Amino acid sequence: MLHEQELKTFVEGTTNFFEVAAQQPASIGSPYLLEGTPQVHEYTGVINISGKREGVVFFTAPKAMLTVLLMKMQENDFSHETMRDLVGEVANTISGNARRDFGREFVISVPSVLSGEKPEIPHKPGLRSFIIPINWRSHSAKLVVSLT
Amino acid sequence: MMLSGTERRRQLITAGVGTVLTLVMGAVLFVGFRIATQMRASITALQTASSLQNYPDDITQQLTSLRDRLEARAYSGQALEDLQGTVRRFDRQLKELNATGNVRSAELTRALQLWHEYGPVIEPVVSFNAQPYVDSDTSGSSFSREGRAHYAEVKRAQLFATDNAKVLQAQLLTLATSLQHDASDAAARLRALLSIGVLAALVLAAAAAWFQFTRSRHERAAREAQEQTRDILKTVREGFFLLDADYRIGSVWSEALTRMFGRDDFAGLSFEELLKDLVPAATLATATKYIKLLWGERAHENLMKSINPLGQLEISMDNGHGGKETRYLQFDFHRVMGPAGIKHVLCSVGDITSSVLLARELQESQDNANAQVDMMLAMMHIDPLQLVSFLDGAETGLKLVNTILKEPARTDAEFRKKLSGLFRELHSIKGEASALSLSSIAARVHALEDIVTELKKKAELSGNDFLPMVLKLDELLAHLRSVREMAGRLTALKESAAGAATTAFTAPAPSAAAAPPPAPAAAQQSGTRAPQYARRAEDLTPTLHALAERLAQDHGKRFRLKLAGLGDVPAPYVATVKDCLIQMLRNAAVHGIEAPEVRRALTKQDVGVVSVAFQRSAEGFDLVFEDDGAGIAPDSLKAAAVRQQLVTEEEAAAMDTRTAMALIFRPGFSTQDEVSMDAGRGVGMDVVARSVYALGGKIGVSTHPGKYTRFKISLPAGQASSTAVA
Repeated sequence: MLHEQELKTFVEGTTNFFEVAAQQPASIGSPYLLEGTPQVHEYTGVINISGKREGVVFFTAPKAMLTVLLMKMQENDFSHETMRDLVGEVANTISGNARRDFGREFVISVPSVLSGEKPEIPHKPGLRSFIIPINWRSHSAKLVVSLT
Repeated sequence: MMLSGTERRRQLITAGVGTVLTLVMGAVLFVGFRIATQMRASITALQTASSLQNYPDDITQQLTSLRDRLEARAYSGQALEDLQGTVRRFDRQLKELNATGNVRSAELTRALQLWHEYGPVIEPVVSFNAQPYVDSDTSGSSFSREGRAHYAEVKRAQLFATDNAKVLQAQLLTLATSLQHDASDAAARLRALLSIGVLAALVLAAAAAWFQFTRSRHERAAREAQEQTRDILKTVREGFFLLDADYRIGSVWSEALTRMFGRDDFAGLSFEELLKDLVPAATLATATKYIKLLWGERAHENLMKSINPLGQLEISMDNGHGGKETRYLQFDFHRVMGPAGIKHVLCSVGDITSSVLLARELQESQDNANAQVDMMLAMMHIDPLQLVSFLDGAETGLKLVNTILKEPARTDAEFRKKLSGLFRELHSIKGEASALSLSSIAARVHALEDIVTELKKKAELSGNDFLPMVLKLDELLAHLRSVREMAGRLTALKESAAGAATTAFTAPAPSAAAAPPPAPAAAQQSGTRAPQYARRAEDLTPTLHALAERLAQDHGKRFRLKLAGLGDVPAPYVATVKDCLIQMLRNAAVHGIEAPEVRRALTKQDVGVVSVAFQRSAEGFDLVFEDDGAGIAPDSLKAAAVRQQLVTEEEAAAMDTRTAMALIFRPGFSTQDEVSMDAGRGVGMDVVARSVYALGGKIGVSTHPGKYTRFKISLPAGQASSTAVA
């Protein structure tokens, strides 16, 4: 079973990114459980985890949110690649936070980025995921923690 | 390092021998110096005495020469002058010999005495200073008057000297011999003394060599011991250090401490500083007090061990990746006693993180195993269909909980809005789990209720506050799944035992029951659950009896449960009737029925009676629940409401009995201050009332303090038939 501190580490990693990159903190919405493969937005940054826990943690955000985020970061390039880099960066921050807090117990992969309508999200059948809505300004993204 | 008794004795002996030999050497040198001085004086005296031996003869010869010159009327001045010189030298040297004080001899005394006798005879001779002759042309030189007298004195002195010279010379010879003997004796003494000195020096040198040898041997042993101590401190996995009377760490510690605390500046560090940034302030204060207590002579060590607050200390440490990790340390303290009392406190620190985590895992496994056994035992007494029905209902309820959580929320109001719905669902599941004696499920739901209760008290709610709940919900769902699997195995076991032909009904296969369809939206909104499988009226009787038995046992009460007409409960009402009866039965057991001794004092029967009757009525159905317990006193309801700040004292005073009785249906109201599995949340009758109202029914209560409490729930006939048809 996932521990509260573990979940908090992933959440903090995500919200910290907004605080640092956009100087505007994100808040988290009401978390819930989901059985089956989670729905994702246009851009998704994924980290694979093995060791003490097995599974994936990913941050998925709509294009609109990422566009506003880039604007807030004084970026002028809103290309597909920049969007991909941005969610990759969020996933990287989550990964860094996890490495800091969990040490050697977790083996954390280099973040990968998925985009498009229906990307292939690796998901273990029968595993319940924790869905944590990430609210920033009027937009909402999702942090999905799917670990055994 | 402590000196052993032998070592101390050895050092004392060495020091004693060294001191004695030094004193001996000092004495030898002192006495030798004295003897040498004395010898020198004796030798000088001997030389003087030896040189004096010739003087008597010289004086005699010079007197003879002077006399001869005077008789020949020759020049006598030179002879007189020689005599004067000899006499003066002899006199001076003899007196000097005596004056030294080193010569204590009778011969010297006699010689002095004899010389003293020379004085009157020889003094006129040597003191002569006139012209002894008178020259004339006729007769040549002749004695002058003074010369004649001088001549006579010379003759007399010459005769005296001739007579006594030998005696004086012999006395002086004897004196010289005596002095020579003295010098020889002194030389012999000095030799002997020097031999002693040499011997003492040799002994001293040997003692010094032995001392040096043993010292170097002990130093080598001490060095080896230090090296071994260093190796031990370097290798040992426990942290060791000594605390002094100022609670500061000594200069020696084991290297494990560096790994444990991530620092190496322990020398002189106070115990408080060591723990300051690692533990909460309250723990630090307790630990500091404990350390102070350890220094109290009167505190018994074993007793101190038993109250050690640092037996399992949780600390937060850097994990080497910029983050923190929790570690568990075990501190143990031993007093080090010295002659004057407690000298140090030896502190050993062990990193018991892996043991604690292992013990925790073992405990969890044990709890799970126990829970599974309990669950298995409980399940053996439950009708399989009834169990599956419950599991379906519980899963549906939890899915509804998840649906409530899933509703988007950003503001405090939106988050707070979820709490009531969550509570009602959870409370209902807990009640049913409790009624079926499924304690592990009831306990987990109770923990979720606790979280909701805490959230209600928070001033500002956010999504972060719901993280623990969603984790517990996940855990509970996983638990329900394992219970369902167990139920499947148990059913299979029962079936194989009883034979397929005798089984009246069979639980659906676990795989089929694992994913029931979601509850209808209408039911979710109304706050009541609509399970996939309709409850059977027959399920109520064993469930209520089992619950009554458990409640009586848990709360030390004795009562009989009388049930009537429950078989007639229409299927659509079964779930609600069950929920209501479970809640009312819990209330009756906790608040209504008195303890046997109280009932006896009130002249009531020891065993109370709780009766339930379900019957048709003109409008539909009536469910009457009655207990012959303490009844409900409106004043206690008012007092509880004021205590819980649901109403002010003024509002309470203004309440009539009817309004006061209505308090029991108010959300959050409870007459019990402490929360237990069965009461204290203040949601029970609130849920009952809501469920009844949701079915279009009504609820009434009548009571007589000290005698009874009666609830009458009226349910419409139409609802039952329409729902049944639907």
